[in-house]
Amino acid sequence: MYRKIYIILFIILAFLNAEAQIDKKVSFIGSARSLLKTNILDVNDTLPDTVSVKKNNGGYALMDMGVMIKPNNHTEILGMFRIRNEYGGFWGSGVSFDVRQLWLKGVVGNAVRYQLGDINLKQTPFTLYNHHADQIDSLPSVFDLQRNIVSYERFYMKNNTWRMQGANVDFGFTFSKLIKEVNFSGLITRLAATNFSTTPDRLMSGASMQVVQSKAFQIGYNINSTFDVLGTIADSNMFKNTIHTIDWKCIKYIKLNPLSLNGEVGRSKYYYTKDTLAPNLKDYFVHANLQYNIVKWNLKIQVGYLNVGADFRSIGAQSKDINYAAQPTYFNRYTNAQSIRPFTLFDVIGNENIYNRTITPTLMGTNAVFNNIMPYGMATNNRNGAYVKLNYKTKNDIAINAEYYKLDEIRGQGTFALKHFDMLKVYANIPVNRLVGLSKKINIQAGMNLQNTHRKSSEAIENIDLTSIQWNAGFKVELFKDFDFIAGYIQQNTSGNEFTTDRNTYQQIIYFNIANYKLKQEIMAAGVRYNFGAKTYLCLLYQQSKYTDKAGNNASFGMNQYGVIYNISL
Amino acid sequence: MKTRIILITLIISSWVACRKDKSIIDGPSISETYSTFKIIEAFKADKSTVDFSAGEKVTFSASFNKSVSWKINVLGKTSKAQKTISGDGKFINVSNALWNGSTTKYPIFKAEECVATLSIKDVTDTFSLSITISQAKKIEGLMIADFEGGLNSAWTKFIQTGANMDFKVKTDSLAPQGAKYLNMAGTVNWDYLIGMIDYPATAYGGNNTLALDANPENVYFNCLIYGVPNTNQSSVLFQFKEDENADGTISATTEDEYDYEIKVDWEGWKLVSLKYSDIATLVNGSPATPKGNGQHNPDKIGKISMLHLANPNDGFASTKIDMIVFTTGKPIEP
Repeated sequence: MYRKIYIILFIILAFLNAEAQIDKKVSFIGSARSLLKTNILDVNDTLPDTVSVKKNNGGYALMDMGVMIKPNNHTEILGMFRIRNEYGGFWGSGVSFDVRQLWLKGVVGNAVRYQLGDINLKQTPFTLYNHHADQIDSLPSVFDLQRNIVSYERFYMKNNTWRMQGANVDFGFTFSKLIKEVNFSGLITRLAATNFSTTPDRLMSGASMQVVQSKAFQIGYNINSTFDVLGTIADSNMFKNTIHTIDWKCIKYIKLNPLSLNGEVGRSKYYYTKDTLAPNLKDYFVHANLQYNIVKWNLKIQVGYLNVGADFRSIGAQSKDINYAAQPTYFNRYTNAQSIRPFTLFDVIGNENIYNRTITPTLMGTNAVFNNIMPYGMATNNRNGAYVKLNYKTKNDIAINAEYYKLDEIRGQGTFALKHFDMLKVYANIPVNRLVGLSKKINIQAGMNLQNTHRKSSEAIENIDLTSIQWNAGFKVELFKDFDFIAGYIQQNTSGNEFTTDRNTYQQIIYFNIANYKLKQEIMAAGVRYNFGAKTYLCLLYQQSKYTDKAGNNASFGMNQYGVIYNISL
Repeated sequence: MKTRIILITLIISSWVACRKDKSIIDGPSISETYSTFKIIEAFKADKSTVDFSAGEKVTFSASFNKSVSWKINVLGKTSKAQKTISGDGKFINVSNALWNGSTTKYPIFKAEECVATLSIKDVTDTFSLSITISQAKKIEGLMIADFEGGLNSAWTKFIQTGANMDFKVKTDSLAPQGAKYLNMAGTVNWDYLIGMIDYPATAYGGNNTLALDANPENVYFNCLIYGVPNTNQSSVLFQFKEDENADGTISATTEDEYDYEIKVDWEGWKLVSLKYSDIATLVNGSPATPKGNGQHNPDKIGKISMLHLANPNDGFASTKIDMIVFTTGKPIEP
């Protein structure tokens, strides 16, 4: 351990020395965070829970320190170390040293950009895209503090990328006639490393070509392929998933208001080369939307059509950020029977352990409580329908957003009767200080998400009616300069019935389990935050959550949390 | 713009119209899964009397209102032999419930009365019918020993003089095939070997080698071995000694010997079958290089030695054996 510390210190000092000698060629970036939490569990079971531990204290301090080296004007190298110390670690036993990220990027001949190592990758919503499908769109800012930590830890950027390891390259050509420019990009990453016996090397490759004909029209071709590398294990049965898509964008201005028709169509293939029992899935999707932006009114209207086949598979676009098979950090078992504690809003908002960093080769499990309509975002398979979106912003910066989705299944699940889905999202942000003319900032957030799934069949057992309504409110007020009071509340009620599925190793449905819901979840948080700078703050937080299951699937419980977060970003 | 929108809409509409998903569903039918079980066509067999020795087979049939996990168990009233056939689905028919007279749990079926019982998972009721076996299934292949005629005088025997030695052919209800089997038991506290029998090729037609297919991929060695409950572990070692030049003499230094040691770690009768080409040469239990041409030549087997072994420190060891037979093309299915 001490040897590692000496090596790291030596490297840092070497770079510091280098910085002194080579002006601006070496710079430091990084961040630090300290988190201290006390969690309290309160179980409301038929018999008092005398088995589970009810209190949990913990936390950590960590520092990410990155060294950015620019050996020349065309090359950048970043290496970032993480030092983390668990509170309560004794004589260094809770200390860990890791390489958090390492990449190299540059430009070849002022034309070809490349990046190697840890890279954030995205293609289109149907090829490679992190949809964050189960996230709350209008999360009150008091909860945002925790979600930001999750995003930082899992490398979730705001542009829907996945953090992967590999290489990507992009370049383009410009033309004087017929077309304006043609841009190319390519990527290759390693999703899994071979263990030389049962797991082969698994790679993902992708490429895109975008032809920009003019400002009014562009069209592109995208391919994404995930494949096992033959010969990396003795077995010659190899997995492959390939998606080809074409996307386009047409814009026409009506006076000063842009009217655009955007869309993407494509098809996928998902199979194993030798396994005759494995499904060989082929299907396609269509997504198109018409968007009109009335600039004068700050109003954006979008009407879309979506048709994603039941057998459409794209592991890069259908991997979920939340892994519902993971274990929550705190109190993962409870009651005298030591049942597995169900996921709650508490976990979805701020439990980094349940969030994925990598994509997975099979359809991940979904949770009807949190998202039964589009669990894989726009790439959710077996959906057909339309949607409308409105974005409006007043002169006083009151932002109102509304989305309505009306979707149906394409193929029945256990019946020829199809499920019908409705989803309505409305959320608003109101800067109260601007309305009443106060200098101190006062902000109110409000949001609502209504989901309904229903199926009507000639067989009563097949009928489904599941409704989930989630609403939230947030409040943020600047008490003094750089000193805020923040509070928020979220309630979600889920009631009705659905079927959960048991699947075999190929993710084919083998059984439908009846699931009845009468569930109420609440989470409330309040705290004070002092901002030392734009990216540095100290926050004291209290959070209270309740999980009340009147259907009796799980014992009801509550979790309270006191926390201190100190965050510094350089 | 207008033309582009119309064109794109037409392409999309025609593509979407191609879907054929409405004729299939994902997963099992929910209404079936949760409906009350009903038998649509009664459980029956296409024959009430069957002659398996003539190649006849019995087909069971039934159908249900929903997909179920089903199991048919045929019990020989006299032998207590059992045959089990199982499956999932709404139909029992020739594709999934054909019985050729073979056995799942030994002894093997004799000419006798049998009862076939259909049971269904999560259903209390069972359904039964009777079948008479007029002639049992023939054992085909080159029979090395079924002990029905006792110990052949052409075989060479060596039995240690330990305590409680019982290395004899028995005739009792434990016989898995025919009426007799070989019992191999005793306590030998100075040696691993309890007893052994050499089966020379000359005992089977007078030739110096066995009349087997020359291709080792086509030849299977089979036997039934009985694990005696609550005794120390026995091993049965078979040594296949090839007489590669067919001169009637086995040379341990210039000709191949392939060995198969069976650790008897189960209780009751068990069928052991393996392909001749999968048998390795062993020296003190470890794989070794054969001394002859290094090729498996089943048609040149000059002698088979069968040894009953047990750890001398463990005390009494006991096992039983029957139906030592070579088959061609596939393992035996008695």
